[in-house]
Amino acid sequence: MAKIGVFICHCGENIAARIDCARLLSAMDDHPGVSVSLDYKYFCSDPGQENVKKAIRENNLTGIVVAACSPRMHEATFRKACAEAGLNPYLCEIANIREQCSWVHSDREKATEKAIDITRSLIEKVKRNNELQPIEVPVTRKALVIGGGIAGIQAALDIANAGQEVVLVEREPSLGGHMAQLSETFPTLDCSQCIMTPRMVEAAQHPKIELLTYSEIEQVDGFIGNFTVKIRKKARYVDMKTCTGCGDCIQKCPQKKISDEFDCNLGKRPAIYTPFAQAVPNIPVIDKENCTYFKNGKCRVCAKACPIDCINFEMQDEFVDIEVGAIVVATGFQIQNTAMYGEYGYGKYPDVITGLQFERLASASGPTAGKIMRPSDGKEPETVVFIQCAGSRDPSKGVKYCSKICCMYTSKHAMLYAHKVHGGKAHVFYMDIRAAGKGYDEFTRRAIEEDEASYLRGRVSKVWQENGKLMVRGVDTLLGKPVEIAADMVVLATAITPQPDAKEFAKVIGIGCDEYGFYNEAHLKLRPVETATAGIYLAGACQSPKDIPDSVAQASACASKVIGLFSRDRLEREPVIAMNNEATCSGCWGCFVACPYGAIEKKDILNRSGELIKRVAFVNPGLCQGCGTCVTFCRSNSIDLAGFTEKQIFAEVMGL
Amino acid sequence: MNEQFEPKIVAFVCTYCTYAGADLAGTSRLKYPPNVRIVRLPCTGRISPMFILKALQKGADGVLVSGCHPGDCHFTSGNFHARRRWTVFRALLNFTGIPLDRIRFSWISAAEGVKFAELISSLTDDIRKLGPFEQYKAMIHETETPVSL
Amino acid sequence: MSIQEQYRKKAAELLSSGEVKLVIGYGAGTTPDRRRPLFVRSADETSKLHLDAACEANLSGYLVTEGLLADRKKVGIFLGPEGIRSVNILASESQLDPDQIVIMGFNREAESVSALEGSNVRDFPAMLAALKEQAPGAGEQALVERIENMTPEERFTFWQAEFEKCIKCYACRQVCPMCYCRRCIVDNNQPQWVQTSSHTLGNFEWNLVRAFHLSGRCVECGGCDRACPVNIPLRLINRRMAMEVLDAYDHFSGMSPDQETVLASFKKDDPETFIL
Repeated sequence: MAKIGVFICHCGENIAARIDCARLLSAMDDHPGVSVSLDYKYFCSDPGQENVKKAIRENNLTGIVVAACSPRMHEATFRKACAEAGLNPYLCEIANIREQCSWVHSDREKATEKAIDITRSLIEKVKRNNELQPIEVPVTRKALVIGGGIAGIQAALDIANAGQEVVLVEREPSLGGHMAQLSETFPTLDCSQCIMTPRMVEAAQHPKIELLTYSEIEQVDGFIGNFTVKIRKKARYVDMKTCTGCGDCIQKCPQKKISDEFDCNLGKRPAIYTPFAQAVPNIPVIDKENCTYFKNGKCRVCAKACPIDCINFEMQDEFVDIEVGAIVVATGFQIQNTAMYGEYGYGKYPDVITGLQFERLASASGPTAGKIMRPSDGKEPETVVFIQCAGSRDPSKGVKYCSKICCMYTSKHAMLYAHKVHGGKAHVFYMDIRAAGKGYDEFTRRAIEEDEASYLRGRVSKVWQENGKLMVRGVDTLLGKPVEIAADMVVLATAITPQPDAKEFAKVIGIGCDEYGFYNEAHLKLRPVETATAGIYLAGACQSPKDIPDSVAQASACASKVIGLFSRDRLEREPVIAMNNEATCSGCWGCFVACPYGAIEKKDILNRSGELIKRVAFVNPGLCQGCGTCVTFCRSNSIDLAGFTEKQIFAEVMGL
Repeated sequence: MNEQFEPKIVAFVCTYCTYAGADLAGTSRLKYPPNVRIVRLPCTGRISPMFILKALQKGADGVLVSGCHPGDCHFTSGNFHARRRWTVFRALLNFTGIPLDRIRFSWISAAEGVKFAELISSLTDDIRKLGPFEQYKAMIHETETPVSL
Repeated sequence: MSIQEQYRKKAAELLSSGEVKLVIGYGAGTTPDRRRPLFVRSADETSKLHLDAACEANLSGYLVTEGLLADRKKVGIFLGPEGIRSVNILASESQLDPDQIVIMGFNREAESVSALEGSNVRDFPAMLAALKEQAPGAGEQALVERIENMTPEERFTFWQAEFEKCIKCYACRQVCPMCYCRRCIVDNNQPQWVQTSSHTLGNFEWNLVRAFHLSGRCVECGGCDRACPVNIPLRLINRRMAMEVLDAYDHFSGMSPDQETVLASFKKDDPETFIL
């Protein structure tokens, strides 16, 4: 038999002024199943809550309805009071007679009738409430950080410095990402390598960080606190345990004509190589595609050159499974191929290069040792034209969004060029200068005012070659005139786009992405580092184009989320989750298709001899977020949602 | 003077957007007619067509179903699923003679207290004009009449 | 050789070679102009099989008989275009493995039947595409449109008069290949969403729920309509729902075993004209 307590709060005059609480009280007294009904000035106050607790104890109540303010205000308060009085907190319902009744209606008679209806229907609901227990999920205190650029390194270091274990996975042979390719960094012009390499070394040597370079994520299963991740450690053909990084093999490799990806194809490298001199770990890999031995079965020069015999051509990819509690995705970006701008001549004229190629030219460790030279003939360019938004903010050919960093790095390029090539002239075509950030606008002003870069507001329509020069035709919209510049080099500020495999990878780890492939945060403003999948966080340019300070800040924010998650042994979650009646389930998988969280699993029902009888839906309580979408799809009413069961809603509606 | 007909309206809303929007209407002290009874659900994805039928059975003259705007669902896609379901169920109701003026759907965010109050006001007005859902009520009445042999 | 002879021979071959364990086809009915389902398990029984214009029933529902396909052995079946579509839906809803079904397809015209090329459910894309192209077919279209043109009150009265006749025998459910639920919602009494009493309200609720559960899944085989002992024009509601999913989502049910369930999927830019 239900023994329901009804508690009618006056909320001072807030409710009592518009609702006849005495009439409401007597109506509830008469309602079947109500053992006790009380009214009070403020039930949310300490003495008010004591009254509730006393009534629960004295009457052995099986459920309570508090007719008061919105459940969004005090549901937690009264649930706690229930728990303290020994009643399961989920046997409490709140009738919202303030925000949705007394405050919005002026007719006392009708407001009172409405309050009676609302309270009654919730009495009918609470009679069908079940005792629920918070779901406890154990937490594996180890984090996986995917991507070894600056964002990934920062997140890994912050988590590790808080004393938690981290596995840092990078698919390239070395840590570093794009930041390692840069020459100097805006707005301070400190050398990228100088600030980056100590972090790389720190990450590699950290006792709490397990570093897996040249490795990729194959599969992610599980849920917050309990992910299982399969990682492919690609064969390096060099034994990491014994290699000392002496580099003899690299020196001796006869194949030296391979285009160097790290140098953006401006330089050459051998088939056994480290991407750059400061690589971490400083252990070479063999590029199987280009290695003479792998191609022809003959060579093995590197193996002969190795003084300690650590080259192993038989090495195979290895797979490891790791258990982690949280995942930070910091997979970075790529720059857009500018092939769609045929009029700029990228790929046709060797001296039309991308911004990233310019970084390599300007870098002291780059293919030209920091000298600005034309790729075509090695001459120092006397005039350089920089074209901004070469892909960004161009809905017709490129991408709609602003790539955010190009205004700043173009200013930096103009500056570096002025510093390195005295007397050189830099022209910059821009749409707008977007230099919001600490010290940013001052930086672009410096490029214009001190380093005398000429900024032209307008677009470039065509680049062509004439008498050994690159002719650039554009427009200066401020003067309202067409402009033609004879340049020696053209640098395109290409758009920042997601990694080429970003969309497929989103599916592997189970997060969402936008139309371009940038990963979706749970809420753009209020939950910018979390994804919709609990326990998976985003750092750096994989979420949207970002500069180094923003990437680092977001990485640290991720780390604080992970550390917060790891501060407990077990997670407690609201038990409002779906559950399935396996007896009536037909396995049509409507729920499976509809679930936004992939929380529905297929479960085999076997007979005693282990033969499959049927396959039914099973709700993974770790993944289910309790939206109830599956319930509505279930034609046979097999799936139900705790806290909002079919029985409860039916009773609530029928109680109206 | 005839007493004005007061319709009964049942609203099925998601807790994250429309319920919060209704709360905002309250905290802003906006006024709307007291004819609506709100049933709170976690998400529009949870709102089953059965709820609408049961509300009609309980004598509702109008039903409102409301949730987060597309793209704003707390559960990412509950409202997209709901939108398809409503499109199809609405066609079915229409074909079987349930006037669509009585069954309404809306997107109301947690910030749209004004929209909530205005919608309830206009909905109540509209249904007042339509009058009681007599055809359905006659059907309900039949279920309550004892069978004579 | 007539198609009946041809399929008798094919059924005999399939059975004697052991490729299939059973052939589901049509046998003689109680009167000369009627056919009833026939389950043939040996080659010498295949002469009892009939195939002619009287073979109306969509036999695909028998495929999901509990345990029939559990041994992974194949089953042969006589199917018209609607039957092929329902096998596709049953496959897309994981109720059967389409590769276990050997189809002997046929097209029924006014007086005769012709064979459909193919034996696996994936063999009929052109035929299905043509069906989709023709949808909604003529058939009942005029009546559907007549109802559409009524006022809501008239429509309500029309259907109330129809549903009043319902005796809740559930023959429509029994005959429908899509009604494979282990427990129908109407048989769930916790809570009793659909009233089982055979008053008009209960009948109204039952018929609405049935039509909704078939939305985007019904292949318009007409089984429910023929089964209804009180002649409620159930095909009209099903046709109207099929038109809706076709118009709104370009969904023609049963095109392939991998087809998405129209109501369990969505597009972010699905049309919405009625949401305030």
